[in-house]
Amino acid sequence: MRPLAAAAAFAAAALASGAAMSARAREFPSLSELPATPFTLQDASLASFGLRAAAADLAWVQMLQYVGASLPGLPADRPGRPYDHLLTLALRVARLDPSFHRSYLYAAGILGWFRGVDRPEEAVALLQEGIRRDPGEPLYALYLAALAYKQKGETDRMIALLESAFEDPRTPSQMKTILANARKARGEYAQALALWERILETPRDQAQHARARLQIAQLKRLMHPASPLPSPPR
Amino acid sequence: MGTIKAVFDYTLREHLRHKVWLGCALFGLVMVASALLASALARDERARVMLDLGLAANEAIALVSVVFLTVHLILQEVESRAVFLILTHPVKRSNYLLGRFLGTLAAVGLGMGAMGLAHWALLRLLGWPVEGSYLLAWSCSLAKIAIMGALSLFLSLALTSEAAAMSFSVFFWMLGHFSAEMRFLAQKSGNALLGAAITAFSHAAPDFAHFNYRDAWHAGVPDPGWALAAAVYALAYCGACLALAAQVFDQKEF
Repeated sequence: MRPLAAAAAFAAAALASGAAMSARAREFPSLSELPATPFTLQDASLASFGLRAAAADLAWVQMLQYVGASLPGLPADRPGRPYDHLLTLALRVARLDPSFHRSYLYAAGILGWFRGVDRPEEAVALLQEGIRRDPGEPLYALYLAALAYKQKGETDRMIALLESAFEDPRTPSQMKTILANARKARGEYAQALALWERILETPRDQAQHARARLQIAQLKRLMHPASPLPSPPR
Repeated sequence: MGTIKAVFDYTLREHLRHKVWLGCALFGLVMVASALLASALARDERARVMLDLGLAANEAIALVSVVFLTVHLILQEVESRAVFLILTHPVKRSNYLLGRFLGTLAAVGLGMGAMGLAHWALLRLLGWPVEGSYLLAWSCSLAKIAIMGALSLFLSLALTSEAAAMSFSVFFWMLGHFSAEMRFLAQKSGNALLGAAITAFSHAAPDFAHFNYRDAWHAGVPDPGWALAAAVYALAYCGACLALAAQVFDQKEF
């Protein structure tokens, strides 16, 4: 067969198989759907080199950095609106890789339950985006239901619902600490202690282990006032 | 067949003696750095970041290697006149081209295999379970590299300039990851002629956006029909590029 004829035959096969492949492949949101942030060029550059998952990972690390302290390049939060850019940063991660479950759950946990933040409508918007773009993840619906209980003031049912997912490996460790703190705030020290001990026993919650040790010692002191004072975490 | 194997053997030996293993050493450094980064910064998602960065680094190093090697593959032999020695023997030009391409791909593939094995072993060593198919993700990367190798070989022969061939290869690599965006643009263009031109161009560039299991890994197991179509696509695209390269090489006068 002449090379040109072979090239034409191969090209036809590539067109046919390419159509079949793209029909069955997973579609990502278009880059135009990314929220406007100072990091858009970084995201587009990484995506253009085929590093979309790595771009989402980097965006996740930047979101953690923002939550932990501040993120250089991002405008300061408006007064009275802590974590002002959290929804945008979480949407950025989710639109780079819609299957990044923990990004939706982590940011929704802060927006919906962190003391002083209390923007459940943003948490709901994020979780609804999760349900739409990442179907099959049961925790989105569970968190939405828990938020609904919270807004109705049915805290017992909210806590029971969130505790049902405590051992789920997809539950962010920060959500577990929110739950333990909710128990503590209600004066339920024994239950709070049990939750912190479960956090301490779980290797994947390592980021919260120092805090868990401190909380366990504090709770023991609250339950038995004669206990010695805890030493601060290193 | 015998001549293809002979050319394949000497090409593989040549590459193993020279450059490919340097890529592995570089990858080792990148991997250790990414492990440190993952441990320090990613908190609950350490395994995911480690997995993604490792696979991305493997592919990026393989891409640089394959483009660099294939662009120089024939042009350097023409420049040094070594190609005359080979073509004076009863070796068909297309067989020579195929043997050189397969030898280069095998060398880069061996390097990718070593990198993948080290990465997978490190993930296991750190106790981070790898959910999904590492082998499938690695195979998709190898197929992308094969496509880029065939494309840059064709470009190097058609353009006869190493710099131009490398630039166009990188351009096609990026364009390939924008194939979904290009089809979206074609739909939204509002002009039938422009839309058809964009669609045609998007089909001419390799469709890496729908090929990238590495990026879709976390969404779960892909459709088996997709894997089959992707394998056929990679073979057909490589075949088309190699056939065009053979046509250009046949017409060259030395």
